[in-house]
Amino acid sequence: MISFERVSKRFERHDALRDVSLEIAREEMVFLTGHSGAGKSTMLRLLMLLDRATSGRLVVNGKDVATIRGRQVARYRQDFGFVFQDHQLLFDRSIFDNVALPLDIAGFHPRDVGRRVRAALDKVGLLGRESANPAVLSGGEQQRVGIARAVVARPKVLVADEPTGNLDPGLSAEIMALFEAFHRVGVTVIVASHDLALISRLRHRIITLKEGRLVGGVGR
Amino acid sequence: MNATVPDAQVGPRPALVSWFDHHRRAAFQSFLRLWREPIQSLVTCLAVGVALALPAALWALLQNVEAVSGSVQTAARFTLLLDQNTPFEVATQLAAELEGKANIDDVETVDRADALKDFAYGIGLNELMDNLDENPLPHLLHLHPDKNLSSAELDALFISLSTLESVDQVVFDTQWQARLGAAIATARRLTAGVGVLMVLGAALILGNTIRLGIEARREEITVIKLIGGGDGFARRPLLYSGLWSGAVGGLLGAVLVALLFGFLAGPADELFTLYGSDQTVSGLGFKGAFGLTVAGGLAGLVSAWSTAFIHLRRIQPR
Repeated sequence: MISFERVSKRFERHDALRDVSLEIAREEMVFLTGHSGAGKSTMLRLLMLLDRATSGRLVVNGKDVATIRGRQVARYRQDFGFVFQDHQLLFDRSIFDNVALPLDIAGFHPRDVGRRVRAALDKVGLLGRESANPAVLSGGEQQRVGIARAVVARPKVLVADEPTGNLDPGLSAEIMALFEAFHRVGVTVIVASHDLALISRLRHRIITLKEGRLVGGVGR
Repeated sequence: MNATVPDAQVGPRPALVSWFDHHRRAAFQSFLRLWREPIQSLVTCLAVGVALALPAALWALLQNVEAVSGSVQTAARFTLLLDQNTPFEVATQLAAELEGKANIDDVETVDRADALKDFAYGIGLNELMDNLDENPLPHLLHLHPDKNLSSAELDALFISLSTLESVDQVVFDTQWQARLGAAIATARRLTAGVGVLMVLGAALILGNTIRLGIEARREEITVIKLIGGGDGFARRPLLYSGLWSGAVGGLLGAVLVALLFGFLAGPADELFTLYGSDQTVSGLGFKGAFGLTVAGGLAGLVSAWSTAFIHLRRIQPR
């Protein structure tokens, strides 16, 4: 469903991605790994349309993303759930309102919003904290709120960029277990992580990047 | 997620329904936001109110002046100075003759002695009368023409009165009315010009406030864009805060004008009375206040839209 076809991304001085070709199938779970600067984030940024490829094609759901422009970009992003390393929560509102944001954007009825937000918070083990401000939560809990927000609209694809970057090993394993749970119910999951010790214990394809090139995990 | 499972009950609602719903909530939450920072909101709204109050007050004042000048016009009066040696009986006889004419409403005869008394009293020199050996004034006729006469007909009447036997001179000052008309026209232009400038000023004040609001919400806007919200979604609360600030500003402006007119009422009513009008000064009225509120709201909306248009696209997730 996601296909990188000879994709390169060149920033001013250096090549962030060089000639990357890669297929990620529907309902697959993959890890994207490599040292920092290897190109993991660049791949995710291209996928989120935060950047555009310098050459090559990125095809998502049979559509070349180069054709997605202007207003369509927002609509495209709604099909994804994104989890950020720094979680990107808003501290001017409650946990509930943070998690509800994608549903507000998509235009759900308030009744459905309440039900779904509580279901999502339940999945990440934070039911009952919905009226608190995310600022009072620990780092691991904040990341779980970020995951609840990413999955609340039930996206087809869940993308996470170093979701455990700031967490200790125990919490990291919990977060990864959550991603696996979503994978089991049919969500395509792409996780960028440099925590090899953690991801190699989980039995999923590991795509390795080095200096912008693919060096492992291309085939399945 | 599977498209084959009927999931309409819990999926997004039709675009139009959720669009309206988000408008409703954005409107409500923007209004709450105004109350949450009362001092800052009050300052902004008051600035808008002051900017709108000035042209509105000018406009209302002009309405009053025009209304009064209308009633002054109908109170046009000719003064006929008779020949010095005309006896009083001839004067009253002439008055009776003139009163019978269709284009003349009524005629009042003033004895020359009374005329001198009035004159001396009018200029505050009662002793003047004692120092004069002889009364220099003739008998006078005050003549009120028909109220519906046009200025051309008034001119014609003026000429026919001038040619009457035993009439020395006819006094009919039309010039001050022409001046008043020109002054009103000038003031009207001035009001329109000041109005445009002040509305522009109000829009700029609001635009700056909205820009600060965008900066304060940069993080929120970034997150909204990251997770699939469009510019429209991010813009909506800004548009409503512009609308509310502008409308509340307009309402405050109407209150300011009302206070100003309350302050003016005493001397202004006196002034009107002196100009022979029984009118009292009137402010914007309910309609005017409503209009000012709507104008403020529109200015706020336009300003918020253009500010959001310029600044929102610059905020892109990194």
